[in-house]
Amino acid sequence: MTDDAILWYANRATGAVCLVLFTIVVLLGIAVRLRGRLPGLPRFGTVSLHRTLSLSAVAFLALHITAAVVDSYVNITVLDVLVPFVSDYEPFWLGLGTVTLDLLLAVLVTSLMRERIGQRTWRAVHWLAYASWPIALFHGLGIGTDAGTDWMLWLTVCCVAAVLAAFCVRLAHAARESRLTPAELLRSAEHRTAERAHS
Amino acid sequence: MTMTFTDIHMPPRLLAPGGTPSGHPAQVLRRIAESGLTGRGGAAFPTHRKLVAVADAGRRRGRPPVVVANGAEGEPASHKDRTLLRLSPHLVLDGLQLAAEAVDAGEAYLAVEDGATSLEAALAERRDRLPVRVVRVPKRFLSGQSSALAQYLSGHAGLPRDQRPPVREQGVRRDPTLVQNVETLAHLALIARYGADWFRSVGTPSEPGSALCTVYAPGRAIRVVEAPFGMELHRLLPLDGVGAVLVGGYHGTWLTVAEAATRTLTADSLGAGVLIALPADRCGLADTAHVLRYLAIESAGQCGPCLNGLPRIAAAFRTLAAPGPQGTSRRDVARWAGLVEGRGACHHPDGTVRLVRSAFTAFAAELDAHAAGRCTAPDRSPLLPVPGNRS
Repeated sequence: MTDDAILWYANRATGAVCLVLFTIVVLLGIAVRLRGRLPGLPRFGTVSLHRTLSLSAVAFLALHITAAVVDSYVNITVLDVLVPFVSDYEPFWLGLGTVTLDLLLAVLVTSLMRERIGQRTWRAVHWLAYASWPIALFHGLGIGTDAGTDWMLWLTVCCVAAVLAAFCVRLAHAARESRLTPAELLRSAEHRTAERAHS
Repeated sequence: MTMTFTDIHMPPRLLAPGGTPSGHPAQVLRRIAESGLTGRGGAAFPTHRKLVAVADAGRRRGRPPVVVANGAEGEPASHKDRTLLRLSPHLVLDGLQLAAEAVDAGEAYLAVEDGATSLEAALAERRDRLPVRVVRVPKRFLSGQSSALAQYLSGHAGLPRDQRPPVREQGVRRDPTLVQNVETLAHLALIARYGADWFRSVGTPSEPGSALCTVYAPGRAIRVVEAPFGMELHRLLPLDGVGAVLVGGYHGTWLTVAEAATRTLTADSLGAGVLIALPADRCGLADTAHVLRYLAIESAGQCGPCLNGLPRIAAAFRTLAAPGPQGTSRRDVARWAGLVEGRGACHHPDGTVRLVRSAFTAFAAELDAHAAGRCTAPDRSPLLPVPGNRS
């Protein structure tokens, strides 16, 4: 196997790993927001797992990008990595990957500086993580060498289904939370105690 | 209330403001330090330390501080702040100017729930160095909480926010902010006028000075009185025919009448300055349940423990207030009280828990009677005032 072939395989492999890892990171992020608890872990475990896995995912993303740039079979420059839609090779599909990287860089930097910039700014930027996931997905579907293979298709379907399901739970939670007011909770609590007294 | 129109025929002389010397800020600060004045909004924090902290923050960050006279008397049972503002507005405004000078402030506000028009008239009679803006705040229990007030004056909803960074560092529009109760400012003006020794001539050595109290004695109209610290409670509040005493307002403490007879007026128990004698023929549990319901609704709903805990506590306490089977309510209330305490951005859950726990102690016998299916009080209608039901 030539060096270029190794890089090419590395690029495809890390791309698939990134899909899986970032999917798990999104699921964990939603679990953190819902104050969920994973079996066998203390409650703070959800947060630290989200944090650790997202950093690992970023490491794989760095490998993915490095392999793509170093690989001389297609001409991708460092500029193409940071500025979307300017590359010679597949400008649109590669550009989607670039957009993802830019969004994730913003999320990463603000998360590392969270203590400094304050909760409000951090949270506003962190919403971008939700946008980056589908963009990265389309980047993979459009440009990925393995996009047509069966295993990649099933992997993609599983990831999309998992994220969609989690997103629906998240929306339902948000809708329920917006209805929660002290007066509303008081009414239901009084209703419950009255029922218990009669039963 | 009598309306005063002092400026119709001539500029006021008898009812004119003034009399407080505008001393050098350093001198004013020294006098406040010597006087031992503490805040009269409920927390009894040393005023001198707060002034110095705000002045420091202003210098350090290069932003002139904001001073806020806090007349937002959210405590439904308290009348002392509005009474003071009606009877002696200029004393409060003098104090506000002195505090503003002491911290080298760039802006000054006076926050009130109502009565803004007559205060604006009083302001028009003065020639102040720093113009004061009168702001009407929403009538809510938490409106006067210092971070809620700072948020409201910054243009946000008037709800408490996280205590970091503190309001003294970043309050109104992120400027260092001094929030002082209006009564504290009135004391401050008098200390500047008559000196620290004069202030310390009443009260106790550790808690010098006097405080305004809203006093509810059975069979008498509600009164606002000034009393020195260290005074026996029974001299302020006749205890004949009284079952229990609530000291400090709705974040305060229930005392049995035997306990109340041994107590004196202290700064940390006084809270918002409310003293309520509950007649012996009333049910303290029914009254507490009524107040807890109000406190639960008044939760800002921002912190989970307060949002979820207070309504549950209130609902379970309502079961305890009614004679009959109580199930696990007593245990539930005690457990939830422990779960919400100290877990809010502000002290709303803590104050509510204080009221619950003291009710459990002071009305222990009544609780047992209710569990046995009877109430010893002939009159079960609630006595403590609670603003109109907003739920």
